[in-house]
Amino acid sequence: MNKLSCFSVQTFALLRGWDFYHRGAKDQVQIIVPRKSYLVYFLLLLPNMEEEEVPRNSYSDKQKQDIFDNEFMPHINAMYNFAYRLTLDRDDAKDLLQDTYLKAFRFINSFQQGTNAKAWLFRILKNSFINDYRKKTKEPNKVDYQEVESYYNSEDVDRQITPDLRVESLKDMIGDEISNALNALDVDFRTVIILCDLEGFKYEEMAKILDIPIGTVRSRLHRARNLLKEKLSEYAKQMGYNKST
Amino acid sequence: MSNPEESKLKENCSNQRECLEMLQLILDGEATPEQKANFKSHVDECMPCYQHYHFDQAIKELLKVKCSHEAPTELIASIKSKISAIK
Repeated sequence: MNKLSCFSVQTFALLRGWDFYHRGAKDQVQIIVPRKSYLVYFLLLLPNMEEEEVPRNSYSDKQKQDIFDNEFMPHINAMYNFAYRLTLDRDDAKDLLQDTYLKAFRFINSFQQGTNAKAWLFRILKNSFINDYRKKTKEPNKVDYQEVESYYNSEDVDRQITPDLRVESLKDMIGDEISNALNALDVDFRTVIILCDLEGFKYEEMAKILDIPIGTVRSRLHRARNLLKEKLSEYAKQMGYNKST
Repeated sequence: MSNPEESKLKENCSNQRECLEMLQLILDGEATPEQKANFKSHVDECMPCYQHYHFDQAIKELLKVKCSHEAPTELIASIKSKISAIK
């Protein structure tokens, strides 16, 4: 917990008239301990809360368990894969997945039954990744969105498939190549390919998960695929080289 | 090209930029039925677009098959038990 969020929780709570009790000897620095710690925990999460996390329902314990088991758990493999592809680290992926599912359960009242649980979960995971993991990853965010948009409108779009890369050479790839090529992309480009090609989300769902306009989804996908092809083309060249020696 | 029909195809696409944008919509299932029909008839006579279509489709399928990992079973069990502990 950082100082600022601690301060804002206290201020917010005090402004609202919520009562905290003070513990500690008179001469010591007083430590403020909230009487209702769950309330404070909830407030701590407020800055990160999005539209999806505002409670709309009050499910019974049984309903919560049913939703969790039948609507959230079936997506656990896809969610794990997303976590792994974002963090590129199995331990981080485990932590991220666990945090996300615990958060999903905590905010289950803001999930509307009958809506797309997978998109809701993916959005929480993506936000958790940005808030908790992205800061500590070595990879800086290098995407220049202006550049992305202009790329899409440039004549570069017209370029041909590189001669080294054909459907036949793709079929020779055993799987590691494409996985490595995907992992080598900047996280924002990687993300759109995962959401679209691996998970089959529609552009509109992707726009909601990523909080970006649909036009940006399209242009980012286009750019991501071109970059992926460049990577694959490098592998294809290497394979050709290896074959001839 | 070994396929005799391919010799009838146009070697150059006069409208490649629009075609590539349309190709993305088609492969991602975002095109309207009319757009799909138009693109299909175009691909039948345009070599570059025919190649792009099959190539991009192959990558999309390859990604789906080769880039998925399943969650470790002990992780799934751990999440379930943590949820049970909350209640």
